[in-house]
Amino acid sequence: MAGAFDFTAAVPLLPFAAFLIALLVGHFAPRLLPKGGAIPGILATAGSLLLSAWLALTVSQGTYHTETIYTWVVGQNTFDLHFGVLVDPLSAMMLVIVSLVAFLVHVFSLGYMNDEGETGLPRYYAGLGLFTFSMLAFVVADNLLMAFMFFELVGLCSYLLIGFHFREAGPPSAAKKAFLVTRFGDYFFLIGVVGVLATFGTSRFLAVSEGVESFPHLAEQALLAAQGEGATPEHVAGFLDVVGFEPQTWFAILGLLILGGVIGKSAQFPLHTWLPDAMEGPTPVSALIHAATMVAAGVYLVARMYGFYALLPTVLAIIALVGGFTALFAATMGVVKDELKQVLAYSTISQYGYMMLGLGAGGYIAATFHLMTHAFFKALLFLGAGSVIIAMHHNEDMWDMGGLKEKMPVTYYTFLSGSLALAGIVPFAGFWSKDEVLYEALIYGSGESPILLAGYAMGLLAVFFTGFYTFRMVFLTFHGDARTDTAESPHGVGWNVKFPLVVLGVLAATVGLINMTPVAKLTGEHIEFLKDWLAGPQGSAYANIGYEHYHHLLVDFAGYGANESLGVLVPAAVSLGLALAGAGLAWRLYSVPEPVEHTEKLGGIKTVLYNNYYQDEYQVWLAEGVTLPLARAADTFDQGIIDGVVNGVSSVSLFAGGRIKRIQDGIVTHYAALLTLSLVALLVAFGLLGGWF
Amino acid sequence: MLIEALIAVTFVSAVAVMLAPDKIAGKLAFALSLLPVAGSLWMFGQYDASGNALFEAGTLAFETTAKWITVGPYALNWHVGVDGISMPLVVLSTVLTSLAILSAWTPIQERQSQFYSLMLFMLASLLGVFTALDFFVWFVFWEFVLVPMYFLIGIWGGPRRKYAAIKFFVYTNVASLVMFIGFVALVFALDVNSFDMIAVTSALANDSFATTYGLGAETLKVVAFFAMFFGFAVKVPTVPLHTWLPDAHVQAPTPASVMLAGVLLKMGTYAMLRFNFTMLPGVARDYAVLIAIFAVVSVIYGAMLALAQQDLKRIVAYSSVSSMGYVILGLVAYNVYGLGGATFQMVAHGLISGLMFMCVGVIYNVAHTRMVGDLSGIADKMPVTAAVFVAAAFGYMGLPLMAGFAGEVFIFIGGFQATFPYAQLFTAVAMFGIVVVAGYLLFAMQRVLFGPFSADTDYDIVPAASHDTFAIVVLVLLVIVLGTAPEVFYGMIQDAVNPMVDSFPEATAVLTGGEL
Amino acid sequence: MAVAVEYYLLLSAAVFCTGVFGILTRENALMFLISVELMLNSANINLVAFSHFYGNATGQVFSLFVIALAAAEVAVGLGIILVLYRNFDDVDVTNATTMRW
Repeated sequence: MAGAFDFTAAVPLLPFAAFLIALLVGHFAPRLLPKGGAIPGILATAGSLLLSAWLALTVSQGTYHTETIYTWVVGQNTFDLHFGVLVDPLSAMMLVIVSLVAFLVHVFSLGYMNDEGETGLPRYYAGLGLFTFSMLAFVVADNLLMAFMFFELVGLCSYLLIGFHFREAGPPSAAKKAFLVTRFGDYFFLIGVVGVLATFGTSRFLAVSEGVESFPHLAEQALLAAQGEGATPEHVAGFLDVVGFEPQTWFAILGLLILGGVIGKSAQFPLHTWLPDAMEGPTPVSALIHAATMVAAGVYLVARMYGFYALLPTVLAIIALVGGFTALFAATMGVVKDELKQVLAYSTISQYGYMMLGLGAGGYIAATFHLMTHAFFKALLFLGAGSVIIAMHHNEDMWDMGGLKEKMPVTYYTFLSGSLALAGIVPFAGFWSKDEVLYEALIYGSGESPILLAGYAMGLLAVFFTGFYTFRMVFLTFHGDARTDTAESPHGVGWNVKFPLVVLGVLAATVGLINMTPVAKLTGEHIEFLKDWLAGPQGSAYANIGYEHYHHLLVDFAGYGANESLGVLVPAAVSLGLALAGAGLAWRLYSVPEPVEHTEKLGGIKTVLYNNYYQDEYQVWLAEGVTLPLARAADTFDQGIIDGVVNGVSSVSLFAGGRIKRIQDGIVTHYAALLTLSLVALLVAFGLLGGWF
Repeated sequence: MLIEALIAVTFVSAVAVMLAPDKIAGKLAFALSLLPVAGSLWMFGQYDASGNALFEAGTLAFETTAKWITVGPYALNWHVGVDGISMPLVVLSTVLTSLAILSAWTPIQERQSQFYSLMLFMLASLLGVFTALDFFVWFVFWEFVLVPMYFLIGIWGGPRRKYAAIKFFVYTNVASLVMFIGFVALVFALDVNSFDMIAVTSALANDSFATTYGLGAETLKVVAFFAMFFGFAVKVPTVPLHTWLPDAHVQAPTPASVMLAGVLLKMGTYAMLRFNFTMLPGVARDYAVLIAIFAVVSVIYGAMLALAQQDLKRIVAYSSVSSMGYVILGLVAYNVYGLGGATFQMVAHGLISGLMFMCVGVIYNVAHTRMVGDLSGIADKMPVTAAVFVAAAFGYMGLPLMAGFAGEVFIFIGGFQATFPYAQLFTAVAMFGIVVVAGYLLFAMQRVLFGPFSADTDYDIVPAASHDTFAIVVLVLLVIVLGTAPEVFYGMIQDAVNPMVDSFPEATAVLTGGEL
Repeated sequence: MAVAVEYYLLLSAAVFCTGVFGILTRENALMFLISVELMLNSANINLVAFSHFYGNATGQVFSLFVIALAAAEVAVGLGIILVLYRNFDDVDVTNATTMRW
């Protein structure tokens, strides 16, 4: 009987078919393409969603699946490179999230793109289809190389979709920046991938059959051997001999290299600068790619290979600190932005910071949980923003809005649901997940790994800013009086906009209930469903990618120990209180009929914040102020010195020829004299050398 | 006899096209160029060789030997055949020539029959280069290739065509001379009675020297190695011997650029693989660090130079320098992924750089300018060309599932597994090329293809001719097919490089232990 | 009685040097031609002398070749001189310098 797993490959391939249809039919017979390609896209993503749900159901019964789909390279006397699928709780969950958001975004695009009379729709839907394909394939990847390949492909789709409006000046530039900055991260990632392959001879996340190995497991064995248990796997030992590092050091280097790609893709400091610019893309694209899914790829990757990272305390600490810092850093920038999508962009960066903090702090469940809740509420917020932007005739400035609450109630209430989730107000989704991230950082930080406390402190502070900018955004957009004529009489939105909003609005309110850790701890009820979901089966090979195993690694290798003496109530209350304080301040300042900019009160900080801490400036300077002059200098050197030498050789030959040819003066007598003299000279020379005399 | 037939048919086609009137020359040349394409594909289908051509253990496909002439004690024989390294290159040559001829229909309007005839003549010589197994046969073809290219640049080129053509010819010819002396000196020292490459390889493997000119065997090998390395490095080209390339590319007409970047550069790395790395692996190993430095400098320095250019053709020309640096890195790694990746990258880069030059050529045909500053937003007017350009550029950047990625990632894996000192560091530094290449191509695309439309030219920007579009679309598809299913070529390539790796276990000794 | 071969060689050398001297010092093209003939014939003397000395006819055959060659050369040379005279109104070889560089 055909089970769900037989159709695993179809999950990504359906959107790929939609891509091909949009591309080919859109090019050769555009009139045959219903809704410019939206219909095939919607059908395909709906199909993927159903299949993903089926997969998730199957997984929930404790049967997992991994399979090699296609051998890309059959190594002769060396290892293979292959494409395979790995369906476990983590990937099944992510598949559902991605295909659900992709489906809703396709529907939303009907309202945002088709109804607004955009041109080039087949190109748009082809891009979405290709993106969905690549993202889903990334999610099910069973090895690091395949993950890298689709990681790059989603980057391409991001480039194409950000630059969708290529006739304007801004989007192509933003697209270029997005690709280039993430490429910089991917450079390190690729070194990491290659390093993993060279070190372990495999890049599988999980090995289930005999004679096949996975790299986290090999790394574990090598580290155990370093501690005196068992032997280092032969191939790993050979490679470590070549590079001459201790296993711990070398694995940490590999982990950090891969982390480079994560930092680029998940827009973490210092490679976050591309994400705000990426808002040049159409809003549904921002919702799908730059909020819910592609940006999540980095975090997902860390979670996917957590069995490797959990071995490396240094790398974990770096992840936590980068995450905590980014959470705070981005949140402060979000405070002063005027444009709706900019606020959301910085909030996205900040929220991914939380996930990184969670992963670094040993909160695998917490980070995954936040990944899921954030995907829903941030997609919701972006789509809500898209709805507002339609209503405002594509004006994004919040100062031109106001009073939209009455005119677009569906958008308002769903947006509010998302905002409450983002700010972390109980009982909306974001509260549960964010609280859990902070809680994990706190207990491990106050336990054995005090460095995590720094991450915790930054994350906690960011909660306040999050509450503030979220509600500043809500109040400026929806409350008060309408500040412009467009805001007086906004453009209506159709069902295709409202439907995705309602679905996500409900999810943003409720999805947090699946893992209410504080409640579980207080009541002793067994209601941590996500934790159970990710725990992993005991006694099978799949246990190696379950939470239980990760926890065991964290304790054994990274030395993580929890301080269980802390209750759950106080930390939760502190973060909730901070969120409420932020929201309250926003309410105080902006929930008035005629709000004014209060940023002047910040003084000099305001300029710094407006300029995003000059992060863009220094990166642009690195590109244009350092690299470009260097390139020009290289060019001058090349033209002047290297080519100069080449041309010099030719000039010297020509010059010498010009001189020597003067011997040939046309007077035959001189030729004869030369001939004679030369002969005599030759004879004398031979005579002397040959000893004739 | 298939190889002889292939070369002969191509040669006869060249003569036929030469005699044909200009009006039909282009179409006739394209039709006739399909013969070698079909022939090479048929060969590919029938291919049954195993092992490496230069090792006696393997079997060659389509091998023929015939007595040619005898010079002193040396028998110079006609000896041709293909193995897993040359087969993909043969296919690459025929396919790319055919498409290059197609791309010549628009820009070449003068002396057409001569132009197409030279293209076919070049193909015939290239086929000889990639199949010859006797040094003298190989060398004759090697030199033959230069002649048509000299005329293609010198007659149909841009304003400074004479300078570029002479520079190209003299530079590569001097290099050939040095290489020739190096190899011949080596053979004369050996205890062999022919210039057959198989015999030379086995004599070198057994160190059966008859004389060493008083230098000692090791010194002689090193001298010969570097004489040959110099000769081939000019062809590749490796920094600092690269300056003929941008001039030649910029002045050459598009189809000649396609051939130059797509196939002629690969002659250099192919010859390095055959002569330097197969025959003298020990020297390659001893000087691995030095060669790796050349490779890394080529990659990074070439990419930096590309970053500074304004002419699209110069950009692609310098980036070829950069990409060919990867090939050398793969060679010096001397393991299955390194050598195999290098060979694969030759094919991949041949297709992709040919594609890039064709795209630039298509834009030039329409706009009559290639300067980045003169054009903006032409995607609006030439959507299909722009789409293919984007695909080609991403292919060049090494986008996964396109051929360039496969080649590069194999080389990087090989580089990481290599056992010479600091191999991992060299590889990591060279990999930075993938960031710089993204930088200049994205900048160029942003300015030329995107943004508000404007064109500082007297010509109307209109969509490209359908045969031009056909050529570039076919190439893009080939690049994607090869990137998705590298096994098409990579299986036979591995089969051919494995004997090399086995013959020199020192390079990989440390890593052969584990279960892979 | 036979004359010793050294005398022939001396004669030959003397004739040859005369020829060389003529070429180096004369400006008249006709004198040039005559000097060249002298040199050729000095070689002939050598050939014949050695041929006689070794009792081998090859040298004599060869000298016949040289004589034939010299005849042809004179024909060509005279032709050149005629053209020279037509172009320069003179047969002075130092005047005809337009074919330099």
